[in-house]
Amino acid sequence: MTSQEAPGLEQTIVEFCRFARANGIAAGVKESLEAVRAASAVGIENRQNLKFALRAVICSTKADWDIFDEIFDAFWSESAQRANLLSSKRRKNVREQESQQENAELATPVENSLALADAEEGKAVMGATVHERLKKADFSEVKQGDLAELEKISLRLLQQMSLRLSRRIRSLAVRGRVDLRRTIRRSIGSGGDPIDLSFRKRKLQPLKLVIALDVSGSMNPYSIFFVRFAYALQKYFKRVDTFLFSTQLTEITSTLRARQLRDALEALAGHAAGWSGGTKIGQSLHQLTQLRGRRLFSRDTVFMVLSDGWETGDPAVLAEELSAIRRRVRKLIWLNPLLGMADYQPITRGMSAALPYIDVFAPAHNLESLLNLEMHLSRG
Amino acid sequence: MPSLTLHQGKSILDPQELARGFEQLGYITDPALATSIYLAVSLAKPLLLEGHAGLGKTEVAKTLAAMLDTRLIRLQCYEGLDVNSAVYEWNYQKQLLAIKIKERTGLSVEEKEKHIFSHDFLMERPLLQAIQEKEFSPVLLVDEVDRADEAFEAFLLELLSDYQISIPELGTVKAKHAPLVILTSNRSRELGDALKRRCLYHWIEYPSLEKETKIVAARLPGIAAEFERQIVAFVQSVRRLNLAKAPGVAETLDWAQALASLGKNTVDRESIEDTLGCLSKSMEDTAKIKAAGIEKMLTEVG
Repeated sequence: MTSQEAPGLEQTIVEFCRFARANGIAAGVKESLEAVRAASAVGIENRQNLKFALRAVICSTKADWDIFDEIFDAFWSESAQRANLLSSKRRKNVREQESQQENAELATPVENSLALADAEEGKAVMGATVHERLKKADFSEVKQGDLAELEKISLRLLQQMSLRLSRRIRSLAVRGRVDLRRTIRRSIGSGGDPIDLSFRKRKLQPLKLVIALDVSGSMNPYSIFFVRFAYALQKYFKRVDTFLFSTQLTEITSTLRARQLRDALEALAGHAAGWSGGTKIGQSLHQLTQLRGRRLFSRDTVFMVLSDGWETGDPAVLAEELSAIRRRVRKLIWLNPLLGMADYQPITRGMSAALPYIDVFAPAHNLESLLNLEMHLSRG
Repeated sequence: MPSLTLHQGKSILDPQELARGFEQLGYITDPALATSIYLAVSLAKPLLLEGHAGLGKTEVAKTLAAMLDTRLIRLQCYEGLDVNSAVYEWNYQKQLLAIKIKERTGLSVEEKEKHIFSHDFLMERPLLQAIQEKEFSPVLLVDEVDRADEAFEAFLLELLSDYQISIPELGTVKAKHAPLVILTSNRSRELGDALKRRCLYHWIEYPSLEKETKIVAARLPGIAAEFERQIVAFVQSVRRLNLAKAPGVAETLDWAQALASLGKNTVDRESIEDTLGCLSKSMEDTAKIKAAGIEKMLTEVG
């Protein structure tokens, strides 16, 4: 870049890129170079223009976009605020690390990522026994101190599971439509008569998943983990629609889809505030069918209810709704955390009304039971 | 690597000039968006536009093509989009006929094969068209790229890095002029890192009151200024209601059009209720707006 700009420009921009990186925007060497080009394209006289230009180059997600302004302002307004964003000592450390990493990236990218993976693995191995214990712990009995750890493993394990599920879909190729292109090509030898037909492999379309979560008081600890489960499953299913219910229905699909797990959990907390009114499962399902049923329920839909089956409404309504839904979906799964208890019998009025329409009745009280759902979620 | 080729006299000097050009064509930008588009042209990099529906992401590409007086090639992505519909396909019927016609000509199998796999039998789809423009760089709009699957995304990435496509039967087609690429996404899924890093990024926010009023004025010149302000102010307060589908600028324009064609010249409760379908696209959202109190929102609008 032989620019006529001030000689310091290039250096300052590169410095800024490092600063951005240290503050969480994934801008690599390539972005730094682009940033210098962008800066000389718009000029540096106008601070605003420079900001917009660097933002377009350096950001690559909405999350980057949202924090960029603050980082930019902090960097260009110098020292005082900059120190706030990142204490000078830490910044120095991060910088050193970053530049080392940058060098490593340039030289041996593979080795570098291997080293990282090693470090990750080391962490995982250390906590193996703790993990086993947490996997089996009932969600409602997990101690406050273990919660963060459990969250971490569950996200990781659930993601692995969703990855396995999507691999399975891919390998399940079925003989499908005639592949005209291949067929014609092969038919040249026989004067244009298609003797050997080639078939296009049909890729199985992923299933749709509709989840209804009971968030009445007794269910709350379980629901929180289940929202996470729903979140992790999004990758595998064609679409995942998630609803919360107690006495009424709330949809949180779009919050989950926008990858805002935290917001979804907040919605959950907000909804749970009205739990004292009891649980009207049948009525909530009715609302769900009325509002979204036509679009959501089809032969490639798995419908999943998480509830302990304590119906305070009319069990007959529940039975009616479930039988209607059952006719329209591929599979109806009912998860009941109480099933995890040794002496539980599904004899509450709601639960016994529901049982005849359920394909899979499974526990969902700990991480292990959630992971076991894998076999019910594949197309089979 | 092919480079951008623009019409003579169509080069853009700075973001301000681009903003003016867009405004002349009825597209109101803001300095940030103008800068991003300007960089896409001057750095010849693809631009990824993300944002909610109805905020004019697609229009950016159309307007850019109009301003540069070049061709707009549009690829609408959808689930299951494959190479056959995005890049090229052979015209099978024509090939079959050609084989029949050449049956008695005594040509060798190789010659027949060469004949039916020539350009005459090739149906060009958007991506192939985009790299075959003869004179100037076209604008290639890859619309709603988040709807296509990951395999297609990988293919797109490859295309964007060297602007060439290889067709097994014909050989490699290289672009003479790199297309200007605009990608849009509604974020129904996160795009791959590699693709994102290949592109400039711009997040389109809902416009400010001032900008949106300007947009309405530019698009619907027949509406009185005060009426316009009321319309926009009401839509902006609806947006704050946390709806499942907040109305975009497209909805504002629809609504303004609807009110105007009903002969209204002021926003009141009755006309809002009659035309609420322009702003709210679901039963729940309609209920939410009504629950928030149309009267109350109207008094805030003033």
